[in-house]
Amino acid sequence: MRIPILGLLLLWLVSSLGCSHPDYPSRPITIICPWAAGGGTDRVSRQMALLLERELGVPVNVINATGGKGVTGHNRGLSARPDGYTLTMITLELNMMHFSGLTDLTYRDCIPLVSLNEDYAALMVRMDSPWQSLNDLELDVGKNPQKFTASGTAAGGAWHLAVAGWLLAAGRQADDVVWIPSEGAGPSLQQLLSGGVDLVCCSLPEARSLLESNEIRALGVMSPQRALGFEAVPTFAEQGRNWSLGGWRALAVPVGTPPEIVDRLTNSLVKITTDKLSKDSFQQFMASQKFDSTTRAGADLNSFLAETDRKLGELLTSQAMQSVRVDRFSPMVYPNIVLGLMFITALAILVQKKPSSAISMQEQSTPILPNRTNFLFVILAAILYSLVAETVGFVIAAGTMLLALLWRLGVSLPYALLLVLLAIPITNTVFSTFLRVTLPQGWLGW
Amino acid sequence: MVEVMQSALAQVSSFPTLLVILFSAIYGILVGAIPGLTATMAVTLIVPLTFFLTDVQAIAAIVTTVTCSIFAGDIPGTLVRIPGTPASAAYAADGYALTQQGRYLEALKTSLTFSIVGGLLGTVVLIVAAPQLASVAAQFTSYEYFWLYVLGLTCAVIVSDESRLKGLFSLLLGLLLSAVGLATDYSEPRLTFGIDELINGVNFIPAMIGLFGLSEVLRLVIRSENKQTADSKYQEAQLAMNEVKVSIVTEAADCHGEWLRIWNRKFAILRSSSIGAIVGMLPGAGADIAAWISYAVSKRFSRQPELYGRGSIEGISDATGANNAALGGAWIPALVFGIPGDSVTAIALGILMMKNITPGPNIFDMSSNSAQAVLVMSIYITFILANLLLIPIGLAAIRASSMLVKIPTNILLPFIVLFSVIGSYALASSYVDIWIMVALGVLGFTLERFRFPLGPVVLGIIMGAPLEHRLLQCLSKSTNLQSFVGSQLSMALAGICFVLWVFPIASNAISHRARSRI
Repeated sequence: MRIPILGLLLLWLVSSLGCSHPDYPSRPITIICPWAAGGGTDRVSRQMALLLERELGVPVNVINATGGKGVTGHNRGLSARPDGYTLTMITLELNMMHFSGLTDLTYRDCIPLVSLNEDYAALMVRMDSPWQSLNDLELDVGKNPQKFTASGTAAGGAWHLAVAGWLLAAGRQADDVVWIPSEGAGPSLQQLLSGGVDLVCCSLPEARSLLESNEIRALGVMSPQRALGFEAVPTFAEQGRNWSLGGWRALAVPVGTPPEIVDRLTNSLVKITTDKLSKDSFQQFMASQKFDSTTRAGADLNSFLAETDRKLGELLTSQAMQSVRVDRFSPMVYPNIVLGLMFITALAILVQKKPSSAISMQEQSTPILPNRTNFLFVILAAILYSLVAETVGFVIAAGTMLLALLWRLGVSLPYALLLVLLAIPITNTVFSTFLRVTLPQGWLGW
Repeated sequence: MVEVMQSALAQVSSFPTLLVILFSAIYGILVGAIPGLTATMAVTLIVPLTFFLTDVQAIAAIVTTVTCSIFAGDIPGTLVRIPGTPASAAYAADGYALTQQGRYLEALKTSLTFSIVGGLLGTVVLIVAAPQLASVAAQFTSYEYFWLYVLGLTCAVIVSDESRLKGLFSLLLGLLLSAVGLATDYSEPRLTFGIDELINGVNFIPAMIGLFGLSEVLRLVIRSENKQTADSKYQEAQLAMNEVKVSIVTEAADCHGEWLRIWNRKFAILRSSSIGAIVGMLPGAGADIAAWISYAVSKRFSRQPELYGRGSIEGISDATGANNAALGGAWIPALVFGIPGDSVTAIALGILMMKNITPGPNIFDMSSNSAQAVLVMSIYITFILANLLLIPIGLAAIRASSMLVKIPTNILLPFIVLFSVIGSYALASSYVDIWIMVALGVLGFTLERFRFPLGPVVLGIIMGAPLEHRLLQCLSKSTNLQSFVGSQLSMALAGICFVLWVFPIASNAISHRARSRI
């Protein structure tokens, strides 16, 4: 507890010395994006970073903390220091992952500020497919359960749930269409085109270029109203199927963030998202990407999150979905194959007496004594850095590590000190300012 | 056609666009040369800037940045054996071996020359064959992908020089490491041994830095007798190197030598560029795998296969040509179907859409002077321009980075540690990645002690996840094993793999019998 206070004191000292504003925001803000660079969520995050930077007057950087099906990023962003300097781009998966036991994190563990869009799931088929409407497809699936394959995301992902929920609503089993897991909409659509799968479930913007070039056809979209920009695609409700599911994206801060900072951020975000006029505005950006741009804030957003959570909870904990969630192949199938092959290879290596072992024996008998202390010193230095960097900051931690290593390898102390004083600030500037990679800030704030 | 060309040329050659290209080139070189920062990251970081640019400028910025950073990845790979980008991993050992022989200038200049030639030929493939080849790539289902990945991995084992069995073991070790944590297809982690930090698995960037970079530092520090004389042997080698250097500088300075080098390898460069362009075209394959496959093919056809892994100029030139050619190839499916060939084109696609340009087969229609046609044409022009610009900028980068070799080891090593630490942290700002880097540094050190090659480990880590994913896709789709070779394409790919597996075993057996008869 004492260290953060000391850190804040130092920070305050540094910032007041620099004559900058003591009030929020006075240093760079980070947006944690739980999904990979280049994807839809990343694009929205980066656009928001740009607009927030313009609005708040401090640099806003995006960090892609990917992996763990979104758990990593959500966890990291929402367990950050609640000082308003770490925002998280939360997504629909926050409503899902706590039901599948991946994490205890729910939407109640954050303060949602403003939601940025809602993209609904849609079913796509190839242009040459015999199915012209949702009804055709439902009839065919009814006659041939477990014959057709669908893809769009990982097993148990949002679009998989959308398909399962639709099948249940149509009175079928949740696994009557076999789900082929994939990395995302792009690869799935490629599989659809090559005939690898029969159906793809993803959002309409993700399939935009293929829809527009008439390679594929959307049978329906699972939204309350027809989607903006895709008015030709009928909703599921119009075709007699009362089922809707959509992904959403919102910016949030950790629980415990001071209310005045929450207000400041919310106001700025509302201002950004409702601005239609200025150049490169949020609305123009979303329209250009054909993303939906329904925004919500405050109580509206909270009740929307609660409602989505309830709906998905019902589906995910239902008996019908249990059969879907049990994976057909255990997670250990692949590691076991690899381990088995490794074992055989290791045996083969041991059996095969190589003449080259004589050479290595000779080399090892050279008089140079292994210097184990140096070896351990390097390893310890790197590990120590990783343990203290977050608290003391990059400059102190990296400077100390570099100095210690230089000294250990026999560089004279004044020379080493000079090198450190030259190299560390340059490195810090190159990474933080020029490359926009946020290095640990710690006590000094840089 | 001519009108499109004219307006594209006019747009690209305007002063602001040229300025953007110049800055992107310098930026790309810088990011590519820093281990841990990939070409993908370089492009991601400039995305917000592209909002302020015109569409031609934005695309020019991306194309130039990638072209330059993929080449720049060779620089640290050659000088300190830490590949700047994963695409340079296939031949880092060769480049570094040449550096130790004092031939780093030769290695880097070869990299530069063949990067440029490969890049230009890749562009030609993009221009000429885009619509036709894209239709082949679209035929790929998960079965074909599965076999393609197996083929890529097989190539990595075949090129391992010490012993193919050891290469296979290294590869399997990499595949096993890739299985740690959550996989694409499962919601429960495995092989984490209860350590929460391992849920995300072993990221290949810190793994690569640890295996190649830190392990080398460990190897050098453990041999130094005490802290006063840090590795005197290494410094002796450097002194000897300086003498060799003078002659190489004068030799390499003349342009004629480079032309001769290209001419001597004219068929090889055609081969490696086509491999690069085709592999780059397959979604999810990309420059990294292109380099590995081309390296393996190059070794197979080489007259000096024993040099591969120990400083083969041929290997470097063929692999580096392929990874640059792959960049052009990756744009083909992106432009034709809106399906990106790699993560860079995925980002570029987002920018294209933002600029209101929808990729599709008709984007190649050059008869109308539409904005789309002009843009496609300017992509071609920028690719050519970026590769030409790489000549002066690349040479300057080589000259600047060659200073690295003159730095005494005891100063260089701490800095390698520093950049290894920052590089593994930078990608996801994760301290766990630093631990992974250190752990794999020790692993790499141990493996080298017992003469296991390190390249296949990295490839295993990179390819493990897609391989498992495709395998499971195939398994969940198929009813019997025959469906793995259900189509002609998958049968052909499987056949090539089979020949590659059986051939070494058979030739081994034959040579054994021959030996025992003597």
